[in-house]
Amino acid sequence: MQLPISLQKTQAVTRRHFFGQTGLGFGALALQSLLGRDGVAAEKDYRIPAKAKSIIYLHMAGSPSQMELFEDKPALTKFHGQECPQEYLEGKRFAFIKGTPKMLGPQFKYQKHGETGQSLSELLPGLASISDDVCVIRSMHTEQFNHSPAQLLLQTGNPRLGYPSIGSWVNYGLGSENENLPGFVVLASGGKTPSAGKSLWGSGFLPTVYQGIQCRTDGGDPILYLSNPSGMSREARRKTLDAIRDLNTFEHQNIGDPETLTRISQYELAYRMQMSVPEVMDIGKEPKHILDLYGAQPGHVSEAESAADPRVLYKGNDPTFANNCLLARRLVENGVRFVQLYDWGWDHHGSSPGESVDETLPIKCQQIDRAIAGLVKDLKQRGLFDETLIIWGGEFGRTPMMQNNVHKELKKGFIGRDHHPHAFTMWMAGGGIKPGSYGSTDDIGYYIGENPMSIRDLQATILHQIGIDPHRFNFAYEGLNQRLIGPTEEGRVIKEIIS
Amino acid sequence: MRCCFTVALLCFFGLVGDTGYAADEPVSFNRDIRPILAKNCFACHGPDEGTREADLRLDTHAGATAARDGRRALVPGRASESELVARIESDDPDVVMPPADSGHELSVDEKTLLRRWISEGGEYKVHWSFTQPVKSELPPVEQSDWPKHPIDHFVLAKMEAGQLTASEKADRYRLIRRVSLDLTGLPPTPEEADAFVADSSDRAFEKVVDRLLASEAYGEHWARMWLDLARYADTKGYEKDRHRDIWKFRDWVIHALNRDMPYDQFTIEQLAGDLLPNASNEQILATAFHRNTMTNDEGGTDNEEFRVAAVKDRVDTTMQVWMGLTMGCAKCHSHKYDPISQQDYYSLYAIFNQTADADRSDDVPVLPLPTAEQTWQISEIEAAIRVLQQKKQEKSDDSLDAMIKEQQKKLSGVRNAVTKTPIMKELPEGKPRETRLHRRGNFLDQGDRVEPAIMELFGSIDAEVPVNRLQVARWITQPENPLTSRVMVNRVWARLFGTGLVETEEDFGTQGMMPSHPELLDWLAVDFRDGGWSIKKLIRTIVLSSTYQQSAAVDVKKLAADPRNILLSRGPRFRLSAETVRDQALAASGLLTRKVGGPSVMPPQPDGVWKSTYNALKWIDATGPDRYRRALYTYWKRTSPYPAMITFDAGSGEVCQIRRVRTNTPLQALVMLNDPAYVEAAGALARRMNDVDGATAARIRRGFRLALIRPPSDDEAARLLEVYEDLSANYAKDSAAADKLVKAANREAGDAAMIAVANVLLNLDESLMKP
Repeated sequence: MQLPISLQKTQAVTRRHFFGQTGLGFGALALQSLLGRDGVAAEKDYRIPAKAKSIIYLHMAGSPSQMELFEDKPALTKFHGQECPQEYLEGKRFAFIKGTPKMLGPQFKYQKHGETGQSLSELLPGLASISDDVCVIRSMHTEQFNHSPAQLLLQTGNPRLGYPSIGSWVNYGLGSENENLPGFVVLASGGKTPSAGKSLWGSGFLPTVYQGIQCRTDGGDPILYLSNPSGMSREARRKTLDAIRDLNTFEHQNIGDPETLTRISQYELAYRMQMSVPEVMDIGKEPKHILDLYGAQPGHVSEAESAADPRVLYKGNDPTFANNCLLARRLVENGVRFVQLYDWGWDHHGSSPGESVDETLPIKCQQIDRAIAGLVKDLKQRGLFDETLIIWGGEFGRTPMMQNNVHKELKKGFIGRDHHPHAFTMWMAGGGIKPGSYGSTDDIGYYIGENPMSIRDLQATILHQIGIDPHRFNFAYEGLNQRLIGPTEEGRVIKEIIS
Repeated sequence: MRCCFTVALLCFFGLVGDTGYAADEPVSFNRDIRPILAKNCFACHGPDEGTREADLRLDTHAGATAARDGRRALVPGRASESELVARIESDDPDVVMPPADSGHELSVDEKTLLRRWISEGGEYKVHWSFTQPVKSELPPVEQSDWPKHPIDHFVLAKMEAGQLTASEKADRYRLIRRVSLDLTGLPPTPEEADAFVADSSDRAFEKVVDRLLASEAYGEHWARMWLDLARYADTKGYEKDRHRDIWKFRDWVIHALNRDMPYDQFTIEQLAGDLLPNASNEQILATAFHRNTMTNDEGGTDNEEFRVAAVKDRVDTTMQVWMGLTMGCAKCHSHKYDPISQQDYYSLYAIFNQTADADRSDDVPVLPLPTAEQTWQISEIEAAIRVLQQKKQEKSDDSLDAMIKEQQKKLSGVRNAVTKTPIMKELPEGKPRETRLHRRGNFLDQGDRVEPAIMELFGSIDAEVPVNRLQVARWITQPENPLTSRVMVNRVWARLFGTGLVETEEDFGTQGMMPSHPELLDWLAVDFRDGGWSIKKLIRTIVLSSTYQQSAAVDVKKLAADPRNILLSRGPRFRLSAETVRDQALAASGLLTRKVGGPSVMPPQPDGVWKSTYNALKWIDATGPDRYRRALYTYWKRTSPYPAMITFDAGSGEVCQIRRVRTNTPLQALVMLNDPAYVEAAGALARRMNDVDGATAARIRRGFRLALIRPPSDDEAARLLEVYEDLSANYAKDSAAADKLVKAANREAGDAAMIAVANVLLNLDESLMKP
């Protein structure tokens, strides 16, 4: 961008004054909000040495059953079909279970894998092939037992709407490595967005510039409004942008508001993004062996993505999630700080078609298992694994009892489990996480046995790995120094899982 | 951070020298000391008894001067005998305060200030915003011909103290565009601008202002501000996020503002209209303000949990909106900085805890408000049924039964179609809900029983009458309440100037920022309160000041001296709101549908944006006049808000939003350049341009005036003509591309190059900014 000499001088002055610390680009705020606003220009005293440069968070919306995937419980198999003892029911709040349900043993076989001897079910052969790279945490617990509040607690630190998501916090704390791409990208599959909707990647009380940008892979613009209108070529767009820039320059000469210079820069950045985003989003550029590694199929748009009820259309070879995993790698490779994947369709109650533990869960596992193994292997072969933190899991777990409000007895295709906040499984990998296992549950997987890990602990640990002190990192709002990990000191970094 | 900023500000005002505080200026507790104590000490030695250390409180004079083991933290007038001074100056890590692990550290200047404060008597003063506002005398100014209004005296005095001079008056084109956008959210027409420019009377500007305040667009524009506070949306939130019929509340706000309902009445009706004697439907409708809280329809949820969440939201929102106090923290423990205990919180909560709504999926209680036509239909059908029943009494006839049945079915059809707005309604008398304190904010962990009561912070309310929401509303609006008027005038000021006189509009408590112009704020607050709480009058007063009418142009020197225009030595210039950006484009292009109120509408939105869980609601792009309604009427779904407006910093409507933070991002550029709604606006603007008979230059000039109101300079006109001719040549060679762009702009035929030029006009920085 060439400016008249007189203007270059003005720009130098204003830059020194206003943009010296922050730089322009995706993180740049309007001048009026840049200064004096609490937190925005905060001291960086929350920064600590980072183990990871970027995060890929794989959220299975609806919450997969740990009983069928990670929890080999012979005792539960033994009690299978028996009535659940009252001590597990009294004083408990369930979403759907009524009266006395029957115990439900794991529906699939388990085997130990790799040097760590990781116990995984037959539904996850891909994960088994990378079992020595992941740390399985079987002692997660949460405070919420409904999807929307539990997802919000997990990802925004508060079960109510209106708080910034973890990706926004990280984006706010660290910014993007690549000023031509957003710092926080969201990719969704499974035909629906998660229960709490776009609030999960909203910026809450942080400036909107830190919110997640949903990139779409279903055939439309990858970022909303990225494409020029039909009939406006890139050359024609350049000519209009040149005119906009020149008129804005006149405006700046007359009025002198540095905001106008920011505007000029942001329009130029938008123009560059029109090139850079489709480029990075185009997985068709990947060689066949990489596509096969993930099970990705460029350009494939699954019919489940636009169905009113996608669950009945799920197929094991649906590549949508695999495409998103490959895209996630391309994004972190290009400096995106936080890539959030959501895969909908994991709420296996067994009460309606397409949501059973026995029939739907295996299909969902096929959709993700190869892709996830591919992602880890691909990151490793590119030397990116150690600097990329991967997190996998749902918003809570599922009950060791069978859900009984619709089908009282076991019925093929309608076997399901209710929501269970007291114990569930997640795993983390890469980004300085030590492979192995952490925590355990009791014999039937109802309560945590040892080493509980709360949502707050998880959040603290994630921030710690990306180079943020979770206790110091805050934003003044509503009279409080708001933090992702909440107001109390309960959340701790779980050092045992850090290498 | 805040503290540093305050100090910086004070330096700026010339109150202090470069090296610290001027020796001759006495230390002010509110300005200098409380911020230091609040930031560094109150967390452990403040109002919260739960976390108070060593049984010492420093937020009150009595606490600080109490003898403890023979020592006193504060010995008035004797700094060296005061334990506080000994502690802050100690080198011993076991003794020094604040302790190292607290993360707080006092600067040398702060220590000096504390010492000086104690030496000068160590007096405590009530936090500034908790004292009564008074109209102080107008300060003397040097440039005495500039002030037109008391506002200008206060502003100029600060300006002169900061060695700045006022800017000249904005030119009339920019001025009328500014005031039109500010008062109505719509630009003037070029003809209105020309009339103003040609009007040589002294009252020319006043006439414009009065015309704008009298237009219906005024209420629509200022309603948007209020709807942010009301967390208004067309859906219920959470997982299912289903539709909610609450647009009649939006219309209530528009009409109340247009009628200039006094702010005290506006407050009372929204908080407790249902409790007024002989409450009208309109007064009951007003209480929908607090039914904008969310309802969780997700299967398997505990309704009580979300009912409680909604009630807490009402308490927090009430205190934030009307009094600028943050209550969020008092849910779990007593406020660490402001004198609000957890007990106070739950006493207030107990008052709001008495309504009948209970997180039910039908949102009852609701107020059915039939249209005139529906009322007519209902009475007609009822009459028909009566006739049939009479006949039936005279002689039994099966066919009569069938006819009655049919009429009844028709009746329930009409009744079902009646809009039912969720409203506030008290539980039946004699059946109050018991309230208990929630330990650590957890509604499942109930503590001692709490009786409804209003905190005693600003004078109590007549104890004879029941303590209910109406009493809360009266307590908020009684003249003795020092916050209500200050908070509202500050809010209006912030919408007009971009930043409040108190920048932290949401926090007038001890953690909030000090006002930049305290006397001005108080002058406006008293004038507003004592002058009948008229919002229109308040706005009129402000925009008629010289301060408001200054040019926004700034030179490098002034910019360096006061980058954020805290001293108001130039006019306000900031980006238009998400809604105004849209409305302006529709108005300039002639597309705008002028219709006030009614159900929310669905202007075009990209396919696939709505993909929510278990929600059958579909976004169907409007094709008729509803496609071009003001942004305020756009259907707002909380978990998937309208993307183009979110990009321009509109809120989601999930919680009360006191102010929007303005950003400037490449995504905004993409919306303005490529969003089909704006491409369509460019198409319509281009048509208006080409309607001008004459040369291309005249057409471009017309477009420029429609978009920016002022005439273009020669350079601007030439540059636009250049790009037009350049693109015109291109499109002449590629007629397929030209046709495509014309079609993208939703036109049958047209001049593609002119559409591109119109697209340029709508994307100019000046278009997006208040001039």
